Amino acid sequence: MSDAAVVDLMAVCLARLLRDGERVLHGVSSLLPMVAVNVAKRLHAPNLVYLSVAGGVDPSPPRLPWSSTDQTLTVGATAIFANEDFYDLCARGGIDVVFLGAAQVDRAGRINTSAIGEYDRPKVRLPGGGGAAAIMPTAGRIVVWRTQHTPRVFVERVDFATASGRLDRVVTPLCVLRMADGQLRVESIHPHTSAAEVQAQTGFDLGALTAVPRTPPPSATELAALAAVDPERVRDHEFR
Amino acid sequence: MPVAGLFGSDIPAQSGLKTVRDPYTGQEVYVVPALRPDWAVLHVHEADAQGNARVYGSPFWDRTMSRAARQVIVTAERIVDTAAFQRQPELTLVPHFLVAAVVHAPRGAWPAACYPDYEVDHAAVRAYLAASRDPAGLRAHLAAADGAPVAAR
Repeated sequence: MSDAAVVDLMAVCLARLLRDGERVLHGVSSLLPMVAVNVAKRLHAPNLVYLSVAGGVDPSPPRLPWSSTDQTLTVGATAIFANEDFYDLCARGGIDVVFLGAAQVDRAGRINTSAIGEYDRPKVRLPGGGGAAAIMPTAGRIVVWRTQHTPRVFVERVDFATASGRLDRVVTPLCVLRMADGQLRVESIHPHTSAAEVQAQTGFDLGALTAVPRTPPPSATELAALAAVDPERVRDHEFR
Repeated sequence: MPVAGLFGSDIPAQSGLKTVRDPYTGQEVYVVPALRPDWAVLHVHEADAQGNARVYGSPFWDRTMSRAARQVIVTAERIVDTAAFQRQPELTLVPHFLVAAVVHAPRGAWPAACYPDYEVDHAAVRAYLAASRDPAGLRAHLAAADGAPVAAR
């Protein structure tokens, strides 16, 4: 399967997780969530309330920008809801879904965006949580996406728990994972891979995978919505 | 200041954050020391000579930073008459009494964006990233940018 097809499948998986009427937020460096929110609004969630770090409420941008912080995401917006506003709203339980990125995700659903290795002498210093520690326990649910699914990303225990809390789903190039009974489990395996590969690329035991269904491939309607929302394929930049 | 969440994160232990018991609900809540920067430097679309400042579009953290800092420096695309602020005071993001200095700085956000006046100059950002791989290259790059006429930036 081509990279482009995997990107499209991931965007569609993210869009399917959003429900009509929900308040949904994405932050910086979040091209796939940006595309997914716009696809969901076009298909099954026309009344979704779209908030982003760019500050626009329900923008209708003429084109999607190359950065999810870009002010193009205020064009056509009906209000400006700036950063302190959406952090406060999340703190009081007023945001249904927040998308978060992660360098590491562990079995218990903790995420790391702080440091690889020892915190004070890291092998790699990462950008930090950007408020994830406040958002992850207070949002309705958290959706994490990651464009690499390897044992270095999916680990038994994160090197540093930047945040943990209401993780719901993780979407990767190989599968969709879901938190259940305090542990990440495979919900569906993408059509182009196998249970054996998913387990081999995951750094903790996923349990029996024989009964796990396949992820439904993107429908013609979903692909058409993707093409309409993101004709320039800014979403591909997450894989570069 | 109280902050929601943070439980389940390693940040509180690493940063030495403490909890207090909310006297109204009895719940434990993390409290963080307030940030009090000496200076905030904010680039805005319009300011007047007194320091009143407007940002069109999204202010990101500008409002919070202007209230947190001890002193604010405003850099502005345009200097306008105070009458413009008097006509629509609700558009003033930072009132003059919080502002220590105003600098007229057209294209002052370049190579970043000051939307909708101008967008990110991606070519300039790429050139900066390429030049900044070593200190000498960065110095040469900054010197060239510093001497360039504003319109060329």
